[in-house]
Amino acid sequence: MTARLRFDGITKTFPGVKALTDVSFEIAPGEIHALLGENGAGKSTLLRILSGVGKPTSGEFYVDGELASFKKPESARLAGIAMIHQELQQVPNLTVAQNMFLGHQIKTAGGVLVNRREQEKRAAEALAMIDPSIDPSAPIKTLKVAQRQIVEIARALLDKAKIIAMDEPTSSLTPAEFERLATIIEKLSGLGVAIIYVSHKMDEVFRICHRGTVMRDGKVVGSVDLKDTAEADVIAMMVGRELQHEEHNSFVKEDVRVEVRDLSSAVTHVRGVSFTVRRGEVLGIAGLVGSGRTELLRLLAGVDTIASGTVHIDGSVLKLTTPRSAIAAGIGLLPEERKREGIIPGRSVSVNMALPSFGKFSKGGLVRHRAVSTSANELLKRVNLRPFQIDRAIRLFSGGNQQKAIIARWLAAGSEILLFDEPTRGIDVGAKSEIYHLIEQLAAEGKSIIVVSSELPEVIRLSDRVLVMRNGRIAAELDRDQLSEQTIVAHAVGDAGLKTKSPQQEPSHV
Amino acid sequence: MSDITSSAPTRPSKKLFASLSLRDAGTLIGLIIIMAVFAMLVPGFLSERNLINILQQSSINACIALGMTLVIISGGIDLSVGPTAAIAAVLTAALLVAGYPVPLAIAAGLGIGMVCGLVNGVLVAYVGLQPFIVTLGTLSTYRAIALIYTGGNPVLGVPASFRSLFNGSVAGIPNSVVIVAVVAVIAWIVLKKTPIGEYLLAVGGNEEASYVAGVPIALTKITAYVISGLLAALASLILIGRLGAAEPILGNLWELDAIAAAAIGGASLMGGKGSIVGTILGAIILGAMRNGLTLMNVQAFYQLLATGLIILVAMMIDRLTRGRG
Repeated sequence: MTARLRFDGITKTFPGVKALTDVSFEIAPGEIHALLGENGAGKSTLLRILSGVGKPTSGEFYVDGELASFKKPESARLAGIAMIHQELQQVPNLTVAQNMFLGHQIKTAGGVLVNRREQEKRAAEALAMIDPSIDPSAPIKTLKVAQRQIVEIARALLDKAKIIAMDEPTSSLTPAEFERLATIIEKLSGLGVAIIYVSHKMDEVFRICHRGTVMRDGKVVGSVDLKDTAEADVIAMMVGRELQHEEHNSFVKEDVRVEVRDLSSAVTHVRGVSFTVRRGEVLGIAGLVGSGRTELLRLLAGVDTIASGTVHIDGSVLKLTTPRSAIAAGIGLLPEERKREGIIPGRSVSVNMALPSFGKFSKGGLVRHRAVSTSANELLKRVNLRPFQIDRAIRLFSGGNQQKAIIARWLAAGSEILLFDEPTRGIDVGAKSEIYHLIEQLAAEGKSIIVVSSELPEVIRLSDRVLVMRNGRIAAELDRDQLSEQTIVAHAVGDAGLKTKSPQQEPSHV
Repeated sequence: MSDITSSAPTRPSKKLFASLSLRDAGTLIGLIIIMAVFAMLVPGFLSERNLINILQQSSINACIALGMTLVIISGGIDLSVGPTAAIAAVLTAALLVAGYPVPLAIAAGLGIGMVCGLVNGVLVAYVGLQPFIVTLGTLSTYRAIALIYTGGNPVLGVPASFRSLFNGSVAGIPNSVVIVAVVAVIAWIVLKKTPIGEYLLAVGGNEEASYVAGVPIALTKITAYVISGLLAALASLILIGRLGAAEPILGNLWELDAIAAAAIGGASLMGGKGSIVGTILGAIILGAMRNGLTLMNVQAFYQLLATGLIILVAMMIDRLTRGRG
């Protein structure tokens, strides 16, 4: 049988960099193929070439045995290649059908006007194959991310795609939504579509993919059959060394630093939340997407408005009205969406670090830039910024290094209470363990830390204690010795008493 | 702003030079090319007297553009600078004609300019309206106030004591040039050396992230608009010093020249980016163009055409040079 897709010696060089070196592997029709590697391993470059955005410097690739040479993305689309990007490329105000036909609308007989009825009919046909519950005439912005993704897949089906590449498709899906996506992917596979699946989440990769190709430094390390390969071996291939399995270390002190009493939000569904955090403690917060975890952190950071309840720091009540008041009380938020809420992209790493502390760094109304750079040198070295160029614009750094810069920001501000929202989302395996070590170090210094995470192994690895949230409330508090993925999931979906293992039930409202 | 003035470094010129970024160097090269072209076409273009003329003719636009630059950096725009200047001009002139002391009249003029800016700032920062719409609204409102206040008539008879202050010269350098140079140095210090400067760049670069990081968003934006109003008022004082009268229709389309100077100088209308040195060079480029074309007896229509083209060319060069990587 001819391979659906075959890369043959693809090499891509940019001035000064060899992004891909002699990449060769193949994917069979109906195969779900994981493309694995750390950030910068060359996955994106390869996908760009596949989708006609970039051209290889040398080497070629074949679709169904035919040499493919794409001058522009449109030719890749016509050849049956579809990309589902991590950040969905849709126009929020247009309808599902309009988005599916964007750029190649169906015209009426005269060829001037758009035939909306025909578009919606054809959109409905495509959607019926995978999720008939989506209304083709609904505006895209009224759909959940998971549904929008399904629309993209249906669009690929409309284009008669033979190969669908998905880049981190599950980064904002709940476990139930992932299961639905997995079913759809398997259905596509049954239709003979080859799937390229890019994800950092090993459990998902092993759950749905048949084979995988591991890349490192622009080269193929190897293609493996995932059924007879251990996860640890794949990770070792990705990072080029064994990541030792790490034990949890606890640094919890006696004294309570943060006490939250009956806290409710004025803008979200967070209600009646009470808990404490001690010095040196890492408190994990688990729960489904939409359970109120992020919203709770935003309340504590002064970003969202509190409706009722109190927050006490070291025994005294904190008046939390704005992020400034939270920062003054020693609270620092490390947001999930770093690009949107964390960084000033065009400014240097050191300015991004110093941003909340410019008052502290000033004398007589003027910023002492020397003090800023002294501090930046020390703190950014401490968090191991790479490359160590403190005056370089932060947008030029990887996600992991941007996260390190935000950690340094709160160290500079003297924050004692750090709120991490999905600390390692979009961060590769190597940087991940660095962030874990940093969080541990901070706890060892006596800082109080709250970690919100959708990755249960991460919560379990880091936390001394875990709160499980459901529908804006705390559903359970679990001590370290009670922690297991099953227990957390059971409390998160609300059937802890029933002892079921299935996390497929939707939360009653999100 | 007085405390900022008093703590200004004593040798700003040296620091100005050191801070010349790549983008500013590009603007400077543009200016040099334009000067060279006119030097070939117009005899006496590079004479000391004409160079001083160019600076003087650029001073009003430069003054407005400095405030505009800070507003643009913060992610906003101030379309109301012309009418703000008109209100300040007619109020100052009326007070002077009525016999009030010069310092009081100046303070009142600058004060009303700041109030105009404050209104813009509050509407943007607290009411949450878009800067373009807010200042489009106040553009008409402020103009109407100036017209209603004067009944549409110019205020004539500004006393010589006031005129000499803004229209005189020190050692051959016009006072207006000196005033704007001082303002430029202060603006540079504000942007580069004070927390509010960092806040302006941060808010314009990513407002949401700035808020989460504890930047005082409202204060930052309001400061930018108040400075813009203040500098519009100052520019109007320079103008009535020169003319000896204040017209309620003065300052028509000043906002466009100011935006052009800021953009040529590297300010991004998306916010988060802009340069004081660049804006000054941008204002001088526009001033030199007009001066040169006038000396060549080019008709006003063609001057307008040339100005428009130079803005587009400058922006295309900017785009092309930034496009790499």
